[in-house]
Amino acid sequence: MSLVAVGLGGALAAGVLTALAAVVVPRRVRSAVAGTGTVVTGGAGVMAGVGAMTGSSLSVALPGLLPLSGVSLTLDALGGLFVAVTGGVAVAAGVYGISYTRSHGLDARGVQVVFPLFVVAMLLVPAAASVGTFLVCWELMALFSLLLVVAEHRHRPEVAQAGRWYAVMTHLGFVAVLIGLLVFVAHAADDSFPALREAGRHLSPGAAGLVFVVTLAGFASKAGILPLHAWLPRAHPEAPSHVSALMSAAMVNPGVYGLVRVGFDLLGGGTLWWWLLVLALGAVSAVYGILQAAMSTDLKRLLGQSTTENMGLVLVGVGAAGVFATSGNRVLAGVALAAALLHVINHAAFKTLLFLAAGSVLHGTGARDLDALGGLRAGMPQTTAAFGLGALAASALPPGTAFVSEWLLLQALIHGLPAPGATGGTAAAIAMPLAVAAVALTAGLAVATFVKAFGVGFLAKPRSAAAGNAHESPPAMLVGMGLAGVACVVLALLPTLVLPAVGTVSGVALGVGDPAVSGAVTVRLAGVAGALSPLMLTLALLAAVVLVVGAVRVVAARRARRAARLWDCGGGPMSARMEYTATSFAEPLQRVFDDVVRPEQDVDVTHHEESRYLVQAVEYRRKVPDRVERRLYEPVLAAVAAWGRAGRRLATGSVHRYLGYGFYTLCAVLILVAVTR
Amino acid sequence: MLGLLRKIRRTGRVAEPAPPSPVVDRSAVAAELGGSVQIRHVDAGSCNGCEVEIGSAFGPVYDAERYGARLVASPRHADALVVTGPVTRNMAEPLRRTYEAVPGPKLVVAVGDCARNCGVFAGAYGVAGAVRDVVPVDVEIAGCPPRPEAIVEGLRKLTGR
Ligand code: SF4
Repeated sequence: MSLVAVGLGGALAAGVLTALAAVVVPRRVRSAVAGTGTVVTGGAGVMAGVGAMTGSSLSVALPGLLPLSGVSLTLDALGGLFVAVTGGVAVAAGVYGISYTRSHGLDARGVQVVFPLFVVAMLLVPAAASVGTFLVCWELMALFSLLLVVAEHRHRPEVAQAGRWYAVMTHLGFVAVLIGLLVFVAHAADDSFPALREAGRHLSPGAAGLVFVVTLAGFASKAGILPLHAWLPRAHPEAPSHVSALMSAAMVNPGVYGLVRVGFDLLGGGTLWWWLLVLALGAVSAVYGILQAAMSTDLKRLLGQSTTENMGLVLVGVGAAGVFATSGNRVLAGVALAAALLHVINHAAFKTLLFLAAGSVLHGTGARDLDALGGLRAGMPQTTAAFGLGALAASALPPGTAFVSEWLLLQALIHGLPAPGATGGTAAAIAMPLAVAAVALTAGLAVATFVKAFGVGFLAKPRSAAAGNAHESPPAMLVGMGLAGVACVVLALLPTLVLPAVGTVSGVALGVGDPAVSGAVTVRLAGVAGALSPLMLTLALLAAVVLVVGAVRVVAARRARRAARLWDCGGGPMSARMEYTATSFAEPLQRVFDDVVRPEQDVDVTHHEESRYLVQAVEYRRKVPDRVERRLYEPVLAAVAAWGRAGRRLATGSVHRYLGYGFYTLCAVLILVAVTR
Repeated sequence: MLGLLRKIRRTGRVAEPAPPSPVVDRSAVAAELGGSVQIRHVDAGSCNGCEVEIGSAFGPVYDAERYGARLVASPRHADALVVTGPVTRNMAEPLRRTYEAVPGPKLVVAVGDCARNCGVFAGAYGVAGAVRDVVPVDVEIAGCPPRPEAIVEGLRKLTGR
């Protein structure tokens, strides 16, 4: 039996057995059993994924398992990458969940049973080999995650609201994927992917474009891409933290997987405008997502918005790969797709770490509002280190994790200027520099965002009693964060461990033979004169820091020194209220991007009743609303509500009326059938 | 922008001609500063009359900066403190801390009668004392408020120019 078969079978068995075990074991050990089982499930998933990426593949058909379509699974290299990422996130989240669920009152049967099943559903999505199987797994993934999102609905009313948003949006996305794939299947012999691949070659451009755009809407909504992102910053933060990590690091990836699978594999690459559309959506999402995150003061919401940003960057890579592939530059397309896929992996690593650390903060202080945190360094040193590492990894600076993939992406985009006279040259020549600018702006804003999250949230003085009394999390949670942290460090220093495999996957997905990226320590790109050695870069950086610190020490040792009180304007001691808050840190940025984010603020001044010159109270409120939501969602919601109200007039409560409706509808249908036959 | 340049050209120089340098032996500390004195102003409880005059001493007409004195925004950047007003109870400790925050060698100038001997506020319940009761004073400038010429003259005793 191959590695893939053992891994995938093991993951399925472990996940289902864990769910069953969670039903029967007593509450005392339930968290431990479910957590351990999830770790085994995830580990088996990693095994299957790595096996598939390194060459072996697996195909299973179980026709009897589902009525009408049956179940067929195939794990190839592309799917393997996503299975491995999901498995890895599940391992960290599983360990973490052992303590987290116990201390947050989440060890009731519901959460513990659904959690491993959610992981299994996510592992199966990239392994599906027919439309039926794919849609069933997709829907199971959505349902299980919905149950987990609303796990804490009794404690906080926002959870129920987030759950409602999520339920509606995820199902609209599902419907879009369903419609798109069904239109596709209508042109094929059956619903298996090989048949679709065959049909994709002969599809008319109009039909192919329709399939692509409709499925893109569904996949983009899962990945939190604008303008279908509204559910993401609501649902991800409200879920229990280990579930947030799984959702934000792993569950957004099937959107990317679906896009690559349908666009490149099944539809065979398509035309230029598809990929320009993807590129534009990605660039807009990246900039808008990180802008929202930069304004945000809620730690977990900020992380959710940063997911939109990172998925936007991934889509920029995928879109660029498509543009290059359709204009004939397949080698560069391979580099761009490898950058996108590497960013998927990197994002999974650091977002897991960040969400788990945010959960640990929630555990230690009970707060997620950055303006109420601060000073966690003293009470929670390990969590602070973990979040710091995650923040470095998420901001595209060396030696961070995201730096490698964003560097690759920029290399691909910069070298992507088409040769004069190439097909679609003008559009690409305009799009590529804009995309470079968007990626660069995103990278800069990401640094500001994570400096804010780390500096305001963890350093300085505690801004509330809760933050002052923060206590470190139990060992299992620290181990979970540690695993994600190790993954971040390895990906940052030795990306060459995974890059060749990723390059091969992207080569296979695009139908190019040789891998796009190679190198043992130094990353070398095919067709581009660019090389990067993150390990050497880090060593050089360390050496420079040591040198500067040493030189300063040597010079300072010669001079007389005086110990003096910290200058606090003489009025001291400084109180926590004098510190920078997340809001004030973001204020200059908010001013610069005033036209984009359109903050709403108003000031109420209450005067003394005896004189207008005496002020009794000043009230200041500021809100940064999501503008897309304002413009797009609110009118639609208002229209739906209006229809609902209008529809109420039809339902008066009279039984005779309802019977009449039934009768007339039946007559109308019969007449219609009679006429159209 | 052009309007501003035109205005500058039309107005010309308004500074009064420099009076002869006050001949004094500068203290050792002042001599060490070499003719350039960075000044931090501390209002220890003044009625703000003295502040108005200090403002005009550094304005275009009296232009104390041409003699090497300059106002700075933090005691960490300063060589000398200019203190106005009687030292109130609330300002005694901040004044002491400000003095400590100035890197040595350092000087203190007491500006106005209040700073020298509590002036009209002497004996008031909120007053802790004159400046010299709180920090050592090197130069005193009399007047309530002192005229800008007097302030400039006092500062020139420090810069020696
Ligand atoms: S000296 Fe005169 S002008 Fe200066 S603070 Fe005292 S009362 Fe005011």
